[in-house]
Order: sequence, then structure tokens, then C-alpha cells
Amino acid sequence: MTILAVLFANSDGNILIERFHGVPAEERLHWRSFLVKLGSENLKGSKNEELHVASHKSVSIVYTLIGDVCLYIVGKDEYDELASVKDVCAKPPTERLFLDKYGRICLCLDEIVWKGLLENTEKDRVRRLIRLKPPVEP
Amino acid sequence: MASGQDSSGTTLMDLITSDPSAAPTSGSGASSQPPSSGGGGGSVGSLLGKPTAAPADRKSKRGTLMQIQNETISAAKALNPPVSYAQLARSIHELAATCDQKSSQRQLVNSVFPKLAVYNSVDPSVAPSLLMLHQQCEDRNVLRYVYYYLARILSDNGSQGLSAAGGIPTPNWDALADIDAVGGVTRADVVPKIVDQLSAESSSDDVEFHARRLAALKALTSSSTSSSDMMEKLYEIVFGILEKVADTKQKRKKGIFTKQGGDKESIIRGNLQYASMSALRRLPLDPGNPAFLHRAVQGVEFSDPVAVRHALSIISEIAAKDPYSVAMALGALQDILHLHDVLARVYLAKLCHSISRARVLDQRPDIKSQYSSLLYQLLLDPSDRVCFEAIHCVLGKVDNSESTEDRAGGWIRLTREILKLPEAPSVASKGVLSKSSEKSSKARRPQPLIKLVMRRLESSFRSFSRPVLHAAARVVQEMGKSRAAAYALGAYDEGATLQAYSDNAESLDSDLENPMAEGTRKPNPLSNGHGGMDTIAGLLASLMEVVRTTATPDMAVTLLEIARIFATKVPGKIDADVLQLLWKTCLVGAGPDGKHTALEAVTIVLDLPPPQPGSMSGLTSVDMVSASDPKSAMALQRLVQAAVWFLGENANYAASEYAWESATPPGTALMMLDADKMVAAASSRNPTLASALTRLQRCAFSGSWEVGPLQMTIPLLYVFEALGNVRIRIAAVQALTTIAIRSGEPYRLQIYEFLHALALGGVQSNFSELQLSNGENQGASGTGLGSLISPMLKVLDEMYRAQDDLARDIRQHDNSKQEWNDEELKKLYETHERLLDFVSLFCFVPRAKYLPLGPTALCNYHVLTRSMLNCVDSAKLIEIYRNRHNISASGGLSDPAVATGISDLMYESKEAQKETGTMQSRIDPDLAMAWAAGLEDDVWANNAPAVDKVKDFLAGAGTDAPDVDDEEYMNSRPSVGYDDMWAKTILETYDAEEDDGRYSGGSSPDSTGSVETSISSHFGGMNYPSLFSSKPSSYGASQQTIREEPPSYSTSVLQKRESFENPLSGRDGRSFGSNEDEDKSSGNPQSGKALYDFTAGGDDELSLTTGEEVEIQYEVDGWYYVKKKRPGRDGKMAGLVPVLYVSS
Repeated sequence: MTILAVLFANSDGNILIERFHGVPAEERLHWRSFLVKLGSENLKGSKNEELHVASHKSVSIVYTLIGDVCLYIVGKDEYDELASVKDVCAKPPTERLFLDKYGRICLCLDEIVWKGLLENTEKDRVRRLIRLKPPVEP
Repeated sequence: MASGQDSSGTTLMDLITSDPSAAPTSGSGASSQPPSSGGGGGSVGSLLGKPTAAPADRKSKRGTLMQIQNETISAAKALNPPVSYAQLARSIHELAATCDQKSSQRQLVNSVFPKLAVYNSVDPSVAPSLLMLHQQCEDRNVLRYVYYYLARILSDNGSQGLSAAGGIPTPNWDALADIDAVGGVTRADVVPKIVDQLSAESSSDDVEFHARRLAALKALTSSSTSSSDMMEKLYEIVFGILEKVADTKQKRKKGIFTKQGGDKESIIRGNLQYASMSALRRLPLDPGNPAFLHRAVQGVEFSDPVAVRHALSIISEIAAKDPYSVAMALGALQDILHLHDVLARVYLAKLCHSISRARVLDQRPDIKSQYSSLLYQLLLDPSDRVCFEAIHCVLGKVDNSESTEDRAGGWIRLTREILKLPEAPSVASKGVLSKSSEKSSKARRPQPLIKLVMRRLESSFRSFSRPVLHAAARVVQEMGKSRAAAYALGAYDEGATLQAYSDNAESLDSDLENPMAEGTRKPNPLSNGHGGMDTIAGLLASLMEVVRTTATPDMAVTLLEIARIFATKVPGKIDADVLQLLWKTCLVGAGPDGKHTALEAVTIVLDLPPPQPGSMSGLTSVDMVSASDPKSAMALQRLVQAAVWFLGENANYAASEYAWESATPPGTALMMLDADKMVAAASSRNPTLASALTRLQRCAFSGSWEVGPLQMTIPLLYVFEALGNVRIRIAAVQALTTIAIRSGEPYRLQIYEFLHALALGGVQSNFSELQLSNGENQGASGTGLGSLISPMLKVLDEMYRAQDDLARDIRQHDNSKQEWNDEELKKLYETHERLLDFVSLFCFVPRAKYLPLGPTALCNYHVLTRSMLNCVDSAKLIEIYRNRHNISASGGLSDPAVATGISDLMYESKEAQKETGTMQSRIDPDLAMAWAAGLEDDVWANNAPAVDKVKDFLAGAGTDAPDVDDEEYMNSRPSVGYDDMWAKTILETYDAEEDDGRYSGGSSPDSTGSVETSISSHFGGMNYPSLFSSKPSSYGASQQTIREEPPSYSTSVLQKRESFENPLSGRDGRSFGSNEDEDKSSGNPQSGKALYDFTAGGDDELSLTTGEEVEIQYEVDGWYYVKKKRPGRDGKMAGLVPVLYVSS
């Protein structure tokens, strides 16, 4: 039940954010190129936020296109809740906006995936937590 | 690390700092900057005067660069932020000192911290500044970042690669040291400080700061778990918090599903519960520690759903190791069924599984059954995720380490257990729960698990979400594994599960009622952009393996259903071969009842709507069709073609209707001359076959695949579609013929009439086309089938004519009370053999049993004259003849193995050979054309008119072919791979044809040849004897079991297809090279000897003299590419020769 990697890339295959959990350094390069290749082959012309799935060995990959940013989530034994990472992440309609909100997105990711485990999946909760408010407001 | 960025030419930092309006320029000038320039005196001033936006320093990230557009200091800083790591570190330090100012805070939050996030690790030298901020700053946004970076410093265990965050590699810390105000700070220095400060904060009880407390606790958990001191400290803190907040035995808040409600105090408690439980989850498990378990069990009662989730996940992990104590400690878990958190329910499933399976709890069946029941209830969960997890658990699959016994037990559970819902399940309230309560009320009465699971899977396979589809497929896979395990152990009791399965089969059948609905729901098959479906073929294949090894009808039906759904949803991703094999497996495995279902599943593919049905209306949309998604359209066509072929080959098997085993009472056949009556009779007798016929007819005639009149007007534009359509229609006609030959009356007559009608239409349009295109334009003329149908009609004609003759003869004999003399019998026998040969060219029939002259020819006549001849019929007469002449060739009637075996399939007797010859001379040229492409033996060589016609594309290759001795005929072609090769490559061939666009207009003779070559080879390619497989000798022994199962085509069709050169025309068709083939044989060229003289008929052919030594390079389509040792008379060294001419 772990999320091995979360990776954002723009449409040219440049990686914007990547977060690995328990992936050895030497494998990251492989993953990076694998995912970007996967996206470039399959995400062309796909609908916005249409989810794609791929399996690679024992892990599954959910990936999608949000605006012009590709999102890849690599996890073990999970399917649809990988997609929930996508739901909660800030929605960047464009790459530009994504970059402008870079810090916020990092914080969001930090709240959503905590040490490789999915933590918060509710939008409101994440929103509160990244502003250092308690998850449930008194 | 940063290869992702570096290779792309623009760094992430470039992208971030670039002006939004301007495209991120590459800034090549900047990259030439010496890296030391920043490290040295990198003050802002030293780099001033560079007004251009050239922020990047790609070569080395440690160079400082600053993008400055004007000299205004702090305000401008926010707009034109520093981009180098050192500069960022400096800014943090500077701004931390002035963190009470709003502007500094804003700058930190807006520019400095976000940019720091780009780097993949955080330097400990910024830690003092961060700690200062932590203490002094009160801005929540700043603080959030501070916690974030502190956590990253803690988690960074020194080896750069292992930090969670990727990004630009952080510059070497040493290089930064001299510019760092604090001086050389190491991680070892700062970590204790950070830990102290954070733990102090997380232990403080100040209510006002409890949010910070949560964040501090969270940051603390990221510290490395290697140090035991650290762990002890963490446990202490976490348990300390839990001590205070967890022990409240107060009831859980009513409003756990609604965020509001509850007093402030309990909310704060809830938040703390959440934080501490999350922290506990991240700590290493401590199974021996009773406090650990105790706290976790308490966590189940917490109000925060995420906290409950973590508690359950901890418990389920402990339960895997120590189920007994967990079971003893746990209270009721019923309420969690309705918990909002999906993952919590997933963990609940796991927990229930571990406890209900625990051996140590064998003494406590009450506990076990309680947890099993809970697990079974999770099957009803509204979330697919939970349901699938529950299915996995029921099946005994948690990780992959389960024993076969566990899995087998899982299968038995799944098939036998019955879910009894407890009375009045504590359904709490509305909202999220309404759905689940609805469900449970619907399913109130006891239900077998297998039924629930099957229903669930069925609906899941309708889902549009690919993750769900994927997960469902995995569930099916696991089911297959468990089932196989059960079989392996022999623990599977068929009788006990039949009940459950028949229920299941019912629901599947009902599902089959609306295949069209499903088909139309996705009229445009999902495009090729389907990474998600990559593994489906593989999945199906593995499923199939399971089914094959443990085949039972029920599983086969289920599998078919799944295959169908995949086929309809993502035709592009499913292999036609895999699908065919699947169908076949199911057909064999499905048993008598399943046969119909299996055939239905095939025909459903035929019902698939053509790609983009609306697109035929105008020119503009036409362009869109071919451009938008040719791949998937092609895939769909292949599927349809495969389905048609499959139907033709197997319809008779599925329907158990064979001419030679006809259930029709003899004599009734020809009485039913009225077509309508016949159809009615047909459908009443055998609905399966009748419906298959109808489908095929629709496909052949026009059906949903007809392109329409536009096809004729703009043939060039429509070549793409035309080819596909013609292919499918031809395939349909082929299939029909096969069925006709194999079926008894009235099906044969029905098909005959249909083909006749079709031929008339087709011939007419051929005539009208004749002036324009030589009559060869298959693609654009009406049904375009005239030339192909006529040979088939010819066969049927011949059969009927011979039947008539026989009837007449018999009548004459009867009238004159004559005995059949030897001469007459011989003639009859010859006719019989001739027809048999003829028929065998089209499709396989068991020679010893098949009676082309009619089942028991016209017994109605004999009834009158029974006194004279005891039931004279063709079979009898032929047998008489055989007996008299000791013809053993196909006389193995008494020996079924021989009767159906390979020996029967060969041309053995001289008579047969002779008859074949005479028969050939009467064959319609069109017929010859149809098979000529695949045949280069005397079948057509004797037929001058045919040769004339086919010469165009065969370049007269065979005109010199001498009569080949029977022995040679059989033995010189030991290679079966040739047909397989065709099967594998035929589809590629089409692709190539379409891709290179040379198949233009379809009006040249070449193109006709190409179509026919391909088609005939396709049908031969299944390693199945038919007119279109070039040699009967390649039947192989697999045909021996014809009556036990459908004709088995070689599994090698599953082999990976290789890229293949395109046989553009008949001539080229012989010279194309298969990569695969070349690979196979070029390594060790065989030597051979020319058996006969051969005169080259074309440029690429090679003349041979008898006895000449040659080196066989490779074989292609019945031809060897050979090299001579020295040039021949014509000076050629190498070229193609017919396989038969060379002994290998």
C-alpha cells in the first residue's frame, strides 16, 4: 500500500516535480524515462484528466494529463486511490500556473503523501493543512 | 539525478523563473559563465548590470546568478527572485532576521521557499535560519514551509539519492560554506537542535498552537528511523499525546460523518488523535509492545477517519503476526463498515482476513465467523476499491506469499459461502451511507458470495474508469489462480458449486441480451492512446492458461464474457489471435450449454459498430476518419475478420451439426425446397447454427460494414475502408461456404441460395465495372465478391449436380431392375472422390465420412425399390466399389483414427490424382484465380484459361510446371511453418499495404492479386486445410480429433508477429522476405538439388536444370530463394524456385 513515486512533467517531457519513496537512486533514472516515454506515447490526444493505467512488473501506474501537465503516480497494489492524489493536487490548468504555484503544490504533495503512504485525500483538509491550520477547524 | 532536466535543455529553474510571457529561453550565454563566479564573491552587486533575463546556469547549479532588471532592492527582489541555491540560502538567512516584517514574509512565501523546493535536498546550513523563523515568525504560511524544510533536512540521511524529493541536485555544501553566514554547518550539528525544538513544541499543551503541534509531530516523523534514541523519543512523544487524548471512553461523536458539531475541545482532541495516530503509523511496528497494540485499538474508536484508518492499518499489520491478541483486544468493528474513509475499509478487509484465517483462533469459531461475516459484508461496499480488496481477501490473496492451500481454501470459500447479513445492520445515517444502505437492503436475503462477486465484476467491467477496469481484471486473474490452486489440490467439489455457478451463468446470459447497448455506448472504440490496456492481452492469455489447465464450462463462460467486454471496449489492445484462441478454448471447455454462449460472444464482435459510422456523409469527415484513428479502426476490422473466420470454422462444431452426422431424417432434405420454410426449419432445428448463419449473411451482404455508394465515387479516398470491408465480406463468404459444405440440409441449401443471390448482384456490378477497371476492382464494385463467390458456388453446384445424377442413375437402375455393375460403381466412386477432393480444397471434412453425393442419397426413392437394392445410397455404392477393388485409401471407415486422420487428407490414390486433374479442367477461371495466389502446383497449372488470368500477377510462373508425382507432392513440403508464417504476417501485410498507399484505387490487376493472395493465405494461415491453404499435406496430425473439438489451428498463431514486407502484387508476393524467416534460415543455408528442370517465369525467378546443386537461402510462400554454385545458362546466380522443384 505504498506510493512509490509521484511525478509531474510538462508536455515536452521535462520533469517538474518528482517525489520518490523507497526507490533506490539508480532506479529513479529508469523510472523517469519510462514514465515520460509512457506519457509521450499514450497521453497525446487524450482527454483532460482521463485516467490511464499501466502495469510495470508488480506496480501499477496511473497517469493522466491535467491541462498541459502530465501526472504520473506509481504505486503498489493500488488503483483508484492513486487517482485521488490527482484530485487533491492543485489543479494546474497550465504549466505556467503550475510553476507559479510550485511551492504550494509541493506542500500539497507533502500533505497527501506522507512517507510514501497516502495520508489526506480530502481537498478541504489538505487546504487547511498547507496553511498550517488543524485538519478539523475548531 | 537531474538528467530529466538536463537532457531537455531547459532546467526546471529556468521554467520557474522565466517570465511568464516570454518563452523560457535557453540562455546559452549564461551557461558559459564559470561556475565559480557565484561561489566566489556572489554578492548581488557583482553581477549587476546584466539586464537580460539569463537566469540559467545549467552546467553547475552552484554558480550564483541573479536576474536583476533594475536596482530597486527589496521590492524588486520579490519580482526578480534569486535563482541560485546559494542565493536562496542567503535570502533565507537575511529574511529570517527580519521575519517580523510583512515584506520579508511575503517574499519568503512567494519566491524564496517555492524555489528552494526545486532542489532535491535542503542544506543543513539553512537550518539555523529555519529554526529562527520557527521560533520567531508567526506567519502561518512561512511556518508551514519551515516545517516542510525542517522535515526534509531531517529525512535527508546524507546520501543524496535517497531523499524523497527529486529535483535539481543540490550544490555541494562545502562550496557553499564560505558564502554561508553561519559558516560550515553540518547535519550532525543541526539535527539534534531541530529535533529538540520540534519535540518541545509537539509536547506542549498549548491549545492555541495545536496546529503547529501537529506539524511539528509530522516533521519529526520524517527523521531517520535508524537511531534508537530518536525512536525512543518519538514513541515517548506519541504515546504521551495518546495518553492524554486517546483514553477518553466517551462515545464517538454522532457527527463523525459531518464535520461540524462537537465542541472545540473534542475537535482539538480529534486533531491530536489524528496527528499522533498518523505519526504512530510511520513509526516502526512494535508487535511485542502491548501498549502499541492498545493504543492502536483505541485508535479504532477515534473520531477522525484518517486516524481510524491508520489505527486499522497498524492493527491489521499486527494481526498478520499475532492474530490472537489482536482478536482479544478488538471490540466491535461493525461501525467501520460505514466509515467515510475508503482506505480504512480496505484495511478493515485485511484485518478481517487475517483474523478469520488465523489458525490460533480455531478454538474460537465465534470470533472467526464474526470477522468472516464482516469481510463478506465488505463485498457490498460501494467503493470498488474496498470490494476488490475484500474479494482478494476472500480468495486468500493478501501479498503473494500465500500457500496453495490458502488459495484453494479461498476459492472454496468464494464458491460456497453465503452472505447472511446480520439483522438490522447498524446503518447510521444519510449522506454517503444512503448508497450502501440501499445496497444492503437490496441484498438483505442471503446471497452466495460468488454471485455477489460476479455481479460486481460485471458492473465493474462496464466502468469507464480505467483504474477500475484494471483492478477488476486483476481480481479475475486472482480468481483464476485460486481456482487453479483448488483444482491442484483436488479440493474442488464441482457439485457444490454448480448451483452458484448456474446462477452466475444466468446473470451472464441476461447480460448478453444487450450487447448492442454496450457496443453503442462506446461507438467510437477507444483510441490507441490506451496505455492502460497494454496488459490486457497478457492478462487474458494468463487467464486462458488457467482455464485451459483446469477447464470447466463455467469458468470458460465467465472468461468469454470478460473477453467480450475487452473486445468491445478496446479492440485496439486485444490481439485477434488471443481472442480467437480464447473463443476456441471456451468453445471446447464450455460444454453443450456453453457452446451457444461462446458462439454468441463471437458474433457480438460482428455487431460492433463500424468506426465512426457518421463519417460517411461527407468529404471533410472522411479525412477525419482515416486521420483520427486508423489504428483502432484497423484493429476493429481485424477483430471482425477474425470473428467471421472463427464462426465459419467452428459454427458447425458449436451447433453439433455435421452433414456426415446429420440428424435430419434422410430424404426430407430436398423436399423442403421452399426457402422460407427452410429457414424456419433450420432455425427450429438448430437455433445456434441458424443464428450464426444469419449473422454471417448480414456481414457478407452488407451489414454494418457496408461503406456505401461513396466508395465507388471516390475509390481512392476510400481504399482504406474498402479494403477492410472487402476483406470482411470475403471472410464472411468463406465462412459461409465452409458451413455450407459441412452442414447437412437445409443449411446447405440456404447458404447456396444466399450465395447465389450475392453472386448475381456481385457479377452484375462486376460487369458494369468491367469497362472501367477490367472487372478486377474488388474494392469498389458492389459487394465485390463475384469472382470469389463463383468458385464456391461451383463447389455447391457440383455437389448438387452429382446428387442429381446419382438420383437419376439410381432411378434408372431401379426402373430397369439392374444391378450396379463395376463400371458404374467405379464412375460413382470417382465422382465421389473428385467431389471430396474439391470440397477438401475449401475446408476440412473427414474424408471417410463425408458424402458429397448426399447424406444417404435420396432414400425416398429406394423405399420403393428396397426389394431390389437394400437401401442403395452413395455410401453403400461407394463402399461396394471399395470392397471390390480393395481400395484402402480412404476406406478406413472402421478405424476412426485413420478415418479422420492425416492419411485421409492426402491425395493418395492414383484415381484421386487423375480425378483431380479432370476436375481442374472444368474449374471456372475465377476459381483458379482465387486460389492461384496460394497454389503453385498442378491444380491450376493444367488449367490454361485460369493461367491466362492469373498470369498477370503470377507472371506465368507455373506454366511450365510439370505434373508432379504424388510422392513428391506430399513429401517435398515438409514445412508447416509456411502457413503459420502467413498467419502471423497477413495482418501486417494489410497494414503495409495501407500505409504505403500503393494499393491505390484497387483497379489494377496487381491489387486484385494482392487481395486474394492475402485472403487465401489468411485462411490457409490458420494451418487449416481449405482451398486457400496451398497444400493439403500441411494439415498436420492435429486434425485427427476433428469430432472431439473444433479444428485446432496451430498455436503458433500466437507467436509474435514480425514485421513483414508487403507482397504488393502476386509477383512481388513471392519475392517478399520475411524477416523472421530469414533469421531462421539464413544462418545455415541448406543445400538442395534440383529435381526437375525449371524455367524461370519472371525476373526474380531462377531457371534450374535437373540435378543442379543449389543453396537454399530461405523459403517464402512456397518458393525457395536459392543460390547456385555457378551462374546458369541465363547467367543468374540466385533467384526463386518453387519448393517442389528442389529436394531439401
